[in-house]
Amino acid sequence: MRELNQLYTIWYDELRGSDYGLVGKKNANLGEMLHAGIPISPGFAITIHANHDFIEKTGIRSKIETLVKKNGEATDENIKKLSKAIMSEIESADIPSEIEEDILENYHRLCEKCNLDAVPAAVRSSGGVSMPGQMETYLNIRGDKDLIHYIKRCWSSSYNVEAIHYRVNRDMSVLFNIGVGIPKMVHSKVSGVIFTLNPINGDFSKISIDASYGLGEAVVSGLVTPDTYLIDKVTLELIKTKIGSKEIKCVYETYGSDIKKIDVDDELRKKSALTNQELTYLSETAVKIENYYGKAYDIEFGIDEDLPFPENVIVLQVRPESIWNKKKDMSGKAGKPADVMNIILNNLISGIKAG
Amino acid sequence: MAKKFLDPHEVKPILGTEGWEEMYPFYYQFSKTDKERMEYESSQLWFYDGLHYPEPHYPFDLIWDEAWYLALSQYNTRVFMVPPAKGIDHRIVNGYVYITPIGIADPKEIESRIPLFQKRAGYYYENWDKIYDKWVDKTKELIVELENISFPDLPEIEDESIVFDSKGLSSGYNLGIKYDELINMGFKIWQYHFEMLNLGYAAYVTFINTANEVFPDIPMHNLTKMVSGIDTVMYRPDEELIKLAKLAVTLEIDSLIVSQKKFDTLAKELKKSDKGISWLNALEKARYPWFYISTGTGWYHHHISWNDNLDIPLSSINMYIEVIKEGKNPSRSTEKLIKERDEIVEKYINLIKNEDQRNAFEETLKIARRVFPYVENHMFYVENWFHSVFWRKMRELAKIFANNKIIEDAEDIWYLNRFEIKSLIDDMVRAWATGIIPAGRTYWPEKIKNRKVIIKKFQEWTPPPALGTPPEVVNEPFTIVLWGVTTGVLKNWLRSLEGTTSEKITELHGSPGSAGIVEGKARVIRTVEQLDQLEKGEIMVAPTTSPSWAPVFTKITGAVTDVGGPMCHAAIVCREYGLPTVVGTGNATSVIKTGDLIRINGNEGTVKIVESR
Repeated sequence: MRELNQLYTIWYDELRGSDYGLVGKKNANLGEMLHAGIPISPGFAITIHANHDFIEKTGIRSKIETLVKKNGEATDENIKKLSKAIMSEIESADIPSEIEEDILENYHRLCEKCNLDAVPAAVRSSGGVSMPGQMETYLNIRGDKDLIHYIKRCWSSSYNVEAIHYRVNRDMSVLFNIGVGIPKMVHSKVSGVIFTLNPINGDFSKISIDASYGLGEAVVSGLVTPDTYLIDKVTLELIKTKIGSKEIKCVYETYGSDIKKIDVDDELRKKSALTNQELTYLSETAVKIENYYGKAYDIEFGIDEDLPFPENVIVLQVRPESIWNKKKDMSGKAGKPADVMNIILNNLISGIKAG
Repeated sequence: MAKKFLDPHEVKPILGTEGWEEMYPFYYQFSKTDKERMEYESSQLWFYDGLHYPEPHYPFDLIWDEAWYLALSQYNTRVFMVPPAKGIDHRIVNGYVYITPIGIADPKEIESRIPLFQKRAGYYYENWDKIYDKWVDKTKELIVELENISFPDLPEIEDESIVFDSKGLSSGYNLGIKYDELINMGFKIWQYHFEMLNLGYAAYVTFINTANEVFPDIPMHNLTKMVSGIDTVMYRPDEELIKLAKLAVTLEIDSLIVSQKKFDTLAKELKKSDKGISWLNALEKARYPWFYISTGTGWYHHHISWNDNLDIPLSSINMYIEVIKEGKNPSRSTEKLIKERDEIVEKYINLIKNEDQRNAFEETLKIARRVFPYVENHMFYVENWFHSVFWRKMRELAKIFANNKIIEDAEDIWYLNRFEIKSLIDDMVRAWATGIIPAGRTYWPEKIKNRKVIIKKFQEWTPPPALGTPPEVVNEPFTIVLWGVTTGVLKNWLRSLEGTTSEKITELHGSPGSAGIVEGKARVIRTVEQLDQLEKGEIMVAPTTSPSWAPVFTKITGAVTDVGGPMCHAAIVCREYGLPTVVGTGNATSVIKTGDLIRINGNEGTVKIVESR
C-alpha cells in the first residue's frame, strides 16, 4: 500500500484541513469544508509530492539549484532573469508519464462524474504557505492537452518574479513545490449570495438569499435586481420572497474565461430562480457554515447545470459578514436580571412597533 | 390613496330598514344631535368588529357586546389604570358593531397613572397562578348558579307554599327578578372575563415586542408557538371525542355507531347491550362540561353547543372512528409538540449574543407563558360553557312567552332587546296577575315581523372595514394583537377602498395567520349554517372562524378571514391543523366570490384571485 505522502492525486473528499502539507492550504481547506458538510465543486488535488517528483525526475530541480547558485545578488534584474529561466524550464518539460497518467485518469473520472466529455475545470495553485495572489489560477480549462499545459503553467507560476521576491525576502528557499487543485468549473444556471442574517436589520435568526440566473457576476456586481428570499434560521421556513426583474444573465464565452451578458426570457424572469428544495438546501448549508465558523457569514453559491440535485448546489466562496458581526459583538456584560414590570410598562407606553 | 374612511355619520341607510335604531340601546347610535360627541366620533377610527361578529346583531344578542364594552373598558381606564390606554368605545351601524380604542394623549396623565398601574398590575402578575385558580373557582360557581335558575311557566293557581311558608312573593314578581338575575349573571361573567385578560395580553404583547426587537423578522406564529400551552382546556372537547372514538373501537361497537347519524336512535340501539351502555356512560361523563363547546364562537344565540344537539359531536366521533380504522392516530402528540416548542425556544435563545437582550427575551417569555393559560382557556369557561347554558336558559324563558302567546315562536325572542324583554315580562305578569289579555300580544309580533326583514337586509349588506379618521400610527396593543388592525392593515384597507370604485381587486393583503401556500377554489361562508356547503379541498373565506368548527378544518385546504390578528381564533386553529391562512384582509368575503380560484400565501399574508368565477 502506498503512503498518502507518495500519492500524486487526492480527491477533495479524502482531504482534511491538516493535510495542507500534502496538497497546499487551499486544497486542504476545501477538504475541510466538505467534511463540515459544506458542498463545494467536485474535484481533486495534485499533491506537492507530484510537483516534487516532476522537477526531480525531469532534472529541473538540479537545474534550478544551478541557476540559483549562478545568480548571485538578488537584484530585481537578476530575479527577473532567474524567474524567466526557471519558468521556461518547467513549461517546456514533459511531465513523467506516471504522474501525467495519474492526473489524466482522475480528470477522466471527474468528466464521468459530471457526464461531460471534457469537463471544464479550474486549475488552481495551492501553496503550503499562504502567498496570497502570487500564484496563478486558470479558468475553463478543458481536455487532456490543455489541462496538462496549464498544470505546468500553474507549477511554473510559483517562480514568477513576485513569488521569488517574496521567498527571497523571507529567507526561504527559491525552490518551492506547490499543490494544484482541479475542481470542476461551476456552470451556474443560477447563482447568488447568502447572508446568515438579515443584512438590512441584523436579525440573526434569519438567512437572506439573493439569486439570479447565470454566473454570480450579475448578482455580486449589481447588474440585475435578483430574487430575494428571507428564511427563518430556526425553522427554515420561507418568510418572504420577492421576485426580482433579473433582466440579464452572465455566461462564459464558449471557450476561455471571458464573460458575456445575455437577455433572460420574459417567462423565466417572472419565475423564482431557486426552487423550494434548493432554498431549503442552501439554508441548511448556510447554517452549517455559520456553525462551523461560529459567526455570521457571507456566502457565494452557484447551482450547477451539469449536476443533479443536491450535488449541484455549490458553495463558491465564504467570508465573515463584516457589519453586524461587529455591531453585535458588544455583548452587554453584567447582565442584570430584566425587570419585567418595567418592560411591560415601556411597551404599553411606546406601543407596538410592528406593522 | 384615500386619507380617510367614510365619516360614520354619512353611512347610507338601507331602504326598508327604517326605524332599525330602536332595536339597540340609544347609546350605540352615532350621534345626530350632540355636536361635541359628533366631532369626537368623526375624529376616531372605527373598525368593524368582524372578529366577534361575522353577522349583524340580533337585538338580544347585543348583550355580550354591552358586557365587554363595560368590562374591558373599566379595567383599562379605572381599575388597572393602564397608562396610555382607556377603554374601547362601541357603536352600531346597520346592525354591525364598530369599535374604537380610546388612547390617552396627555403625557402628564400617562405619567400619573404609571405608579398605580405598577402597583395594581404588578400584584396580578406576581400572584397570577393563585388568582387564576381562584378565577376558575368563582367562574364555575357562577355557572352553577346559572344552571340553578329556572323559568317555570306562570301557574293558574299559585302553589300553596307561598301561603304556608308565608313567602310573600308571587311567581309573577319572581319571574321579573329571575330575568334580572339572569341578565346580571351575563354581565358578571364578563366582569370576570376581563379581570385578567387585558393584563394577560399586555404581558404577551410585551414578549412579542421584545422578541421583535431582537429578531425583527421573526414570524408571529413562531412566537405564539413559544408561549402556547399544549394541554389547554380549549382542546379538551375535541380530545374527548377522540377518546370516545377510540373507546368505540375497543368495545367493537364502532360500526354500529358509524351507521347512525341521529344520536337519539343510536342511543336506543346502544342501550340494548352492556358495551353500548358503558360507552353511553363515558359519553355522559364527557358531556359535562366538555360538550358545552359552542359550534360557533358563542356570541350568537344560534351558536348552539354540542350538548344542545348531540348529532354534531356524533358526526365528529364518526369521523374520528374512520381515521382510527384507517390505522391512524387522530390524537395530537403532546410530547412531540412540547419537544418542538422547547427546541424552537432553545434555538432562538442561542442566537442571541447580547446578554441583556437574552435576559429580556427570557424574562418576558417567562411571564408570557405564565399568563397564557388564562388567555387561551378563559374562552372555554365564558364564551362556550357559560354562554351555552345562558342561551338555554333564555330559551326556557322564551317558551313561557310563546305559551302565553305574546310571541309566535320562542325563537322570536332574539328580535327583542334586553330592555324590551323586561317590559314584555312586566306586561305579561301584570296581565297574569290581573287575569286579562296582555298588551304585548299584538305589539311584539308586529315588531318582530318587521325586524326579521331588517335583519335579513342587514345580512345582505357588507359593512365597510372601517369608518372615520385613521390615526397616524396604531399602537393600542389589544387592537393590534386581537383584531390585527395595524397601520399597515389600515393602509391596505384604504387602498382597497379605491379599488372598489375603479378597478377590480385581484390581490388582498392581511396578516400571515398560518404558514404555507395553497391554491384552490374559494367558498365564502358567512354564517355557521353555511358550513355544510364546504366541499373537500376548498379554501374557506369567512368573516372569522371559531376553534370549535373542528370537522371543517379537516376538510378545507386553507382559510382567509376578513378580520383578525395572528392571535385570533382562526389563526391559532389553522396553525394547529397546518392550514395556510391569511387573516385580517378587511373585505375578503365581499371581494372573493364562491368558485373563484384563489392562491393564499400564509407566509406573507397575501391572497391572490387567480381566476374569477
